[in-house]
Amino acid sequence: MTSLSSETTSVPVLTGPRPALAALRRGWLHLVLVPIALLWLSPLLWILVTSLKARTEVFDPAAGFWPQALEWGNYPAALSVAPFGTYLVNSILVTGGILVAQLTTITLAAYAFARLNFPGKNLLFTLFLLQIMFPIYATFLTNFVTVRELGILNSLPAMIVPFVASGYGTFMLRQAFRQVPTELADAARLDGCGHFGILWHVYLPLVKPTLIAFGIITVVTHWNDYMWPLLVTNSEGVRTLPIGLGLLAKSDSGADWTRLMAATVVVVSPLLLLFVIFQRRFVDSFMHAGLK
Amino acid sequence: MVVGATLQARIREAGLAYLLLLPSLVFLAAFTYWPILRSIWFSFHDVVLGDSKIIWLGLENYQRLWEDRLFWKAFGNTAFYTIITIPVAITCALLMAVALDSKLRGMAIYRSAFFYPVMIPSVAAGMVWVFLYSASYGPINQGLRLIGLPDTAWLYDSTWALPAIMVMSVWKYSGYFMLILLAALKLVPSDLYEAARLDGVSAWHRLIHITLPLISPTLYFVVIIGLLHSYQIFDYVYVMTHGGPADATNVLTFYIYQNGFQYQDIGYASTLANVLLLFVGGLIAVIATVFGRRIHYLGR
Repeated sequence: MTSLSSETTSVPVLTGPRPALAALRRGWLHLVLVPIALLWLSPLLWILVTSLKARTEVFDPAAGFWPQALEWGNYPAALSVAPFGTYLVNSILVTGGILVAQLTTITLAAYAFARLNFPGKNLLFTLFLLQIMFPIYATFLTNFVTVRELGILNSLPAMIVPFVASGYGTFMLRQAFRQVPTELADAARLDGCGHFGILWHVYLPLVKPTLIAFGIITVVTHWNDYMWPLLVTNSEGVRTLPIGLGLLAKSDSGADWTRLMAATVVVVSPLLLLFVIFQRRFVDSFMHAGLK
Repeated sequence: MVVGATLQARIREAGLAYLLLLPSLVFLAAFTYWPILRSIWFSFHDVVLGDSKIIWLGLENYQRLWEDRLFWKAFGNTAFYTIITIPVAITCALLMAVALDSKLRGMAIYRSAFFYPVMIPSVAAGMVWVFLYSASYGPINQGLRLIGLPDTAWLYDSTWALPAIMVMSVWKYSGYFMLILLAALKLVPSDLYEAARLDGVSAWHRLIHITLPLISPTLYFVVIIGLLHSYQIFDYVYVMTHGGPADATNVLTFYIYQNGFQYQDIGYASTLANVLLLFVGGLIAVIATVFGRRIHYLGR
């Protein structure tokens, strides 16, 4: 440690004009990054601006980028074409259902893999891990047949059941459980705690960051899910927000972009707002969740 | 007696473990492994959706697939999309991550600007890009007109439709890959850069010879993640082009959907699904053998 710190203090002496050079370099970096960031942000900007335009302005090349007058009426108009309230409730129920189910199954399974010994452990763990390689996009066809045979097509459970078990989540949580010192569990056992007591009072509180990280990724993934809910629903009562938005686009066949973009803002904003508020949490989750 | 007691304890421990694994295993079996086995079984049969009668066909579905020109087109499109989009998106992500891996002012703003597309539902992203790509009033063509280029009907042009979707995918996912790479870059010890810089190694060579080898395990991980995310092209094709024009954007997942849900031909659709799994599995195996061996693990 001491040698390292003495080395770092000697660096500025060796290279005198460095601070100015670094500042210049950073200036260049901003010069490159600002246009790219604007390019990346432009679709979002377009959604917002178009959602506030008059219908004819969109098709008029002479109208310019900004709306001539802010048409807030696009929002109520968009929300009245389809039962967005029902969609919102369904999205919350499906995403919430998946989250609760996954947190339960991965907690139990991860504890078994992290702290218990049993025959076939490695084989079963491989089966869990391999699930990552078979997302719903690869198995949707025969899963649809199964869900149809179970008689739960066109219901909220149909959108939940394929995602109840999570190999990825089990893996993440197992890694976290293994970081918990065994002495803590031993102490709890001496105090008369059983396995479930230890799990609840010792392990779960200590791995909260991992649970939150996994929870955020699950919510983002399933709140935005499109293909599977599209295949297993066919009536208004069970559709989720993304499906409702897709239907609106289809029925309008691209003619009324202002209304469509207003609906898009409504669908996109819950997650984007959460992201803006809890930016650090979100970024940390996506940054580290896959690396542990 | 002591031996008997420990044996009993071990049996009880194993019993508890299986009990804890049971909920996961039931769903894993029913919705991951059973569908795969079933899809292999179906591919040797004539199966019609909603009809309980199943007729043995042998390899007929596979023969049909071999001669199906549309299958080869969809396969080619899938391969083209996967093999171009992933490296391009990862290169973008890497450049973003390297640029942001310094104490830059406004770092959080840049990071959010690159990452927010991950938060947007694929259907919303697809719709917005349909608008951006629109031939007459779309902003992309309006911009190109300013610099004197002719209009292109991006999503209605069989040459440009698939590349147009690929550009959108790069926009959608680079930010995600960037975050993962950024986390890896933060772990590279800065004294390595200092030493190289003092030795007069240029920024480009530092990137190639120090940064890339040290973050190679993460790069490898990002490639796999990218491969699994590339399945999501179904959403974009469904929303933006529905496979058109003239099947220029028909990809395997969409072709499976067409056969299974529009023509109700579950047997043939299962055959296609098996090919898709083999393709992705094969790519992962190739990547694992080619890159897996060359990975440098810091301090190991």
